[in-house]
Amino acid sequence: MTLALIGVNHKTASLVVRERVAIGRDELPGATRALAEAPGVQECMIVSTCNRVEILASVENPSVSLAGFLAQYFGLAPEEIHPYLYELHDLAVVRHLFRTAASLDSMVVGDAQILGQIKSSFAVAKEEGTISGQLEQLMQSAFAAAKKARTETGIGSNSVSIASVAVELAKRIFGSLEGRTAFLVGAGKMSEIAARHLVQQGIGTLLVTNRTQERAMRMAEEVRGRLTPRVVPFDQIYQAAAGADIILSSTGAPHYIFSPQHGASFLQQRRNRPMFFIDIAVPRDVDPAMNKLDGIFVYDIDDLQQVAASHLTEREREAVDAETLIEQEVERFEKRQLAVNAAPAIVALQQQAEAIRSGEIDRMHARLASLSPEQREAVEMLTHGLVNKFLHPPMQALKLAAREDDRARLEALCEVWSLPAGKADEDKTDKEEKKVVQQEAHR
Amino acid sequence: MDLLWLRVAALLYAAASVAVFPAVLYGKERWRKSSIHLAGLAWLFHVVSLAEMLIQAHHWMPVGAREVESLLGFVFASLFFVVWWLYDAISLGLFALPATFFVLFVPALGRGGYTFPSTGVRIGWLVVHIVSLMLAYAALILSLLASLLYLVQERRLKAKFKPGQNRWSWLLPLDTLERIALATLKFGFPCMTLGLVIGSVLAQETPLGASYFLDPKVIASFLSWGVYVLLLLVRHMASLRGRKAAYVSGGVLVVMLAVWVANFFSHVHGFGPR
Repeated sequence: MTLALIGVNHKTASLVVRERVAIGRDELPGATRALAEAPGVQECMIVSTCNRVEILASVENPSVSLAGFLAQYFGLAPEEIHPYLYELHDLAVVRHLFRTAASLDSMVVGDAQILGQIKSSFAVAKEEGTISGQLEQLMQSAFAAAKKARTETGIGSNSVSIASVAVELAKRIFGSLEGRTAFLVGAGKMSEIAARHLVQQGIGTLLVTNRTQERAMRMAEEVRGRLTPRVVPFDQIYQAAAGADIILSSTGAPHYIFSPQHGASFLQQRRNRPMFFIDIAVPRDVDPAMNKLDGIFVYDIDDLQQVAASHLTEREREAVDAETLIEQEVERFEKRQLAVNAAPAIVALQQQAEAIRSGEIDRMHARLASLSPEQREAVEMLTHGLVNKFLHPPMQALKLAAREDDRARLEALCEVWSLPAGKADEDKTDKEEKKVVQQEAHR
Repeated sequence: MDLLWLRVAALLYAAASVAVFPAVLYGKERWRKSSIHLAGLAWLFHVVSLAEMLIQAHHWMPVGAREVESLLGFVFASLFFVVWWLYDAISLGLFALPATFFVLFVPALGRGGYTFPSTGVRIGWLVVHIVSLMLAYAALILSLLASLLYLVQERRLKAKFKPGQNRWSWLLPLDTLERIALATLKFGFPCMTLGLVIGSVLAQETPLGASYFLDPKVIASFLSWGVYVLLLLVRHMASLRGRKAAYVSGGVLVVMLAVWVANFFSHVHGFGPR
């Protein structure tokens, strides 16, 4: 079994390309199921955010083509997508995943949202039953590594999130945000975070709309703090937008919601007072041509991230520490994986010893018949203790050989003890093996 | 008595001129009413003054500069009221009322003109005249500067300022820059008006008298005042903001250059080496 990952991200593809392969929240379960049914795929999950679309899978062999699935799913010719794809295998996948979860691969290093987004994708895969043993363990390790990177380094401090950058830009346009009107079009998680920032900055009026009214109401309830957001019916979006200074759009619409014609009309209605459109939707909601209108400023997700990236000198220093930490975590994971390969041998060794011990007890059964139950229990304990003590050095040697990827030593040890080496997948002693794996994971 | 009524009319026109600016530029209803009432009252006193002046002179046609100026002011004010009555266009008052006041100002000083009680008082008013105009020009320059910075900041924001452009991070927010540009423009206007009024009083005392106002620099100063009003009006009426407003503020530069160039052609009000 091999780990494989393919994807496009902000480094390899422009927003225009990413828009074409974006998988919406509602489409994610179906896409994950479709991927799981692809030939050669054993476990899988899909991460689709505004910055990246990545397919992670454990496949039967490295020749399984995930790129083919991606092209087929989106109805694209391979040459349309291939130039933007990156493909990784095994340890490179682990490293990439750890770095991504720790936001080291984000345009805004330290952006906390990516971890939440990966967790959501993981939850979808769990729900769909497309992820279990190997990938689940990998994901749990990635989450732990990301958490460690955030808590043990300063990459998460001095928030340079998209939301805070958007607020900062709004301040560059309007000065103080006090008394201004913000309009949230679409009720996504990022909108919610941005809304909280805006409320903190003293925004005067907050309007919320969504195609599903209930969702808008729920979001209004969630961001409710100093002020009570007003829910606007989706069919009144343009009337409400004309009165708003800041419009934060994040719908799942496949086309532009706001065109330059709308912009011109808004400006006329508001006597040319400026407007700031923050378009965090992928595909975009706001026609970029609107930025050409005098008095209208449009920032899409790439623009925001570019601004954020330019502010990140401080974080870059912290990112160096985080990279070191992630590298250590990758190493640890690798060692754990290798230790897992020793698990069948260790289990077999324990089983052999137990067989000998219980066989000897059985052989002595007649002689021990006169013993009281307490005395028999003491004998059992004694023999268990002796066996464990005898097994400790060879078990440690097996684990060490596995951890150091010293296959020759591992095989020699197995030969000495007549143990089955490298047959982890074939052995059916799952329970025992998991116990060994867990012990290793806790180390 | 006609001089007294004329002076009262001139004062009321001056008050109406002051009131018309907040009425038009800020849409203040109270100021709008005050401006119309004051102008109406001024017009009545003006009628009385004109009638009395012509009756006393025993003719129905104006004779001499003083009577022509008074009648010209009356025509300005009357036209303003006709337009206001027909179109409810008080905006015209921004030009008509101050223009009426300026035209009435010299005849309202009296037949012999106004003479300062002492050289000290005259110098005092001269200082106020210079300081007012300097303040006006300083405000105009500041407005122009704020407009230029607005254009830079706007360009930066429109271009989604790229990494490495942080050297411009000291720039003020767009809204603040626009407020500064407009506030300084508005501050400069009364300063310029005051400077010109005091300058007119000072000029009529000179031996040149009314011909002083035919000097290119003096004419350019009054024209620049007109352009100034136009700038304010255009900004307000067309709801000009942002880039266009910044460009219009560039008109300030034209105004200042006009006065500066006129300085070289002036025979009575020049300064600096020529």
